[in-house]
Amino acid sequence: MNRWKKKAAPVNQSYKRPVLVGEGFGGRLGYFVSRALINVKQNIFVNCVTIGTITLALLIISLFLLVFVNLENAADTWSERVQVTVYFDRELPTQEQAALRSSILAIPGASKVSYVSRDEALKRFKSRLRGQETLLEGVRPEILPTSFEIALKKADRNTEGIEAFVAALKRIPGIGEVQYGEEWVRRFNTFLNFIRMLGALLGGFLVIAVVFIVSNTIKLTIYARRDELEVMALVGATRFFIKAPFLIEGIIQGGAGGVLAMVLLTGLYEGFLHNAGSFVTFDPTASGLSFLPPEYIAAICLSGIALGFIGSLTSLKRFINV
Amino acid sequence: MIQLHNVSLAYQKDATALNGISLRIEKGEFVFLTGPSGAGKTTLLRLLYGALTPTQGQVLIDGQNISRMAPSQIPFLRRSIGVVFQDFKLLPNRTVLENVAITLEVLGWGRADIGKKVMHILKQMGMESKINLTPQRLSGGEQQRVALARALVNDPKILLADEPTGNLDDANKNQILNIFKEANVRGTTVVVATHDRRLIENSHKRLVTLSKGEIVE
Repeated sequence: MNRWKKKAAPVNQSYKRPVLVGEGFGGRLGYFVSRALINVKQNIFVNCVTIGTITLALLIISLFLLVFVNLENAADTWSERVQVTVYFDRELPTQEQAALRSSILAIPGASKVSYVSRDEALKRFKSRLRGQETLLEGVRPEILPTSFEIALKKADRNTEGIEAFVAALKRIPGIGEVQYGEEWVRRFNTFLNFIRMLGALLGGFLVIAVVFIVSNTIKLTIYARRDELEVMALVGATRFFIKAPFLIEGIIQGGAGGVLAMVLLTGLYEGFLHNAGSFVTFDPTASGLSFLPPEYIAAICLSGIALGFIGSLTSLKRFINV
Repeated sequence: MIQLHNVSLAYQKDATALNGISLRIEKGEFVFLTGPSGAGKTTLLRLLYGALTPTQGQVLIDGQNISRMAPSQIPFLRRSIGVVFQDFKLLPNRTVLENVAITLEVLGWGRADIGKKVMHILKQMGMESKINLTPQRLSGGEQQRVALARALVNDPKILLADEPTGNLDDANKNQILNIFKEANVRGTTVVVATHDRRLIENSHKRLVTLSKGEIVE
């Protein structure tokens, strides 16, 4: 085996594949990586074009994701208004309150239960009629019902979840009238589903466009270097040997594109959206406009790497004739 | 040894590039392939380094039938065959040194060994002072010498050349011919496709003439 270490296949030997020391991807990883880095340096323009395309493509996707994530956050906030109210025509003694509260909390889906006494109900009524308090003159707390306000867990804030919850709730002895704004919940869920469908549709088109643009850019850049592939094949490079540096180059381009896209997105968010309040009197932090969660950022960087790798892999197939 | 038995190759049904060629080139021989454009010289060379597969017949190199060789084995065959072209096929972004080193990198040589061997061959070619230049800064003759250095750096058994002097003046042609002869003296089988009559006449080597895909002489 050692006789191959420093020598090529000697003249007059059979063409049987010689085993070289350090052969295979692991053994020659150092060579492939350094070759890829030199290639990036030697083909700097072509690499800049590819990295720029991947950056822009991922930036568009991440801006879309930023809007989508914030819409979802807003929907979450609105969905907190989905609650079930149980009315009683009498004030409940503390013991009964506690018993009912624990029975309600035992139903899967319940997250918070609060008791609204007659006095509390009147106080709320008054605050809603602020400025027209005279209308409530002579109104006594006794005419108002007491109630339990039940907040639901996020997963159960849809029509089916609420109906199941209410059915379970009504089976508890002592529970009378139950209200939960059926029409509002139905409309809200329809709206949410519409937004999600629209997001998936637009996101799908965006992803297809991005994959198409990036893969074609990579194809063009590899086409521009087809002579290199031809020469490598001529001097006896295996398919893998030719591909490996290009694939690593693809990973470098994709990774750089992903990181650059995230840097630009952060810059846009911090520089524009954060400061927007000072000149359009709109403060994104106050309105809850949030940045992408870390797992989304990692996913975008990884998808950049995948784009570079897969784009190079599919393009190379067309140009390597070994 | 190179053997062709009744080799035919058709690019399309009616366009036959080679028709029933049988040829035997002994180890260490120097052969010129000649004939008018379109006679099939380039096609024949491409068959020899496994870039084309014959539609009929057999191509044997040292007894191995490359018409039946698995595509994954072709690179290993090519490691013992050097090829040069009229348009040199040098990589414009790489220096002279890097262009020649490719052949040895593919073989898995260490960096230090590559440096020594490449410098040695470039000295033989008289190119040692230009190792850090890119091909665009070299004359045609110099570029062909670099291409020859790339083809010869791993001491191949066979050297194939397709119109190697097509773009060169007389002085450079002689220089290139001398390099071929030196390689041949060291034991390399040389096959040169050319229609340059003067090159052939000056060398006094075996001549195989092709016409319309057939050997006529």
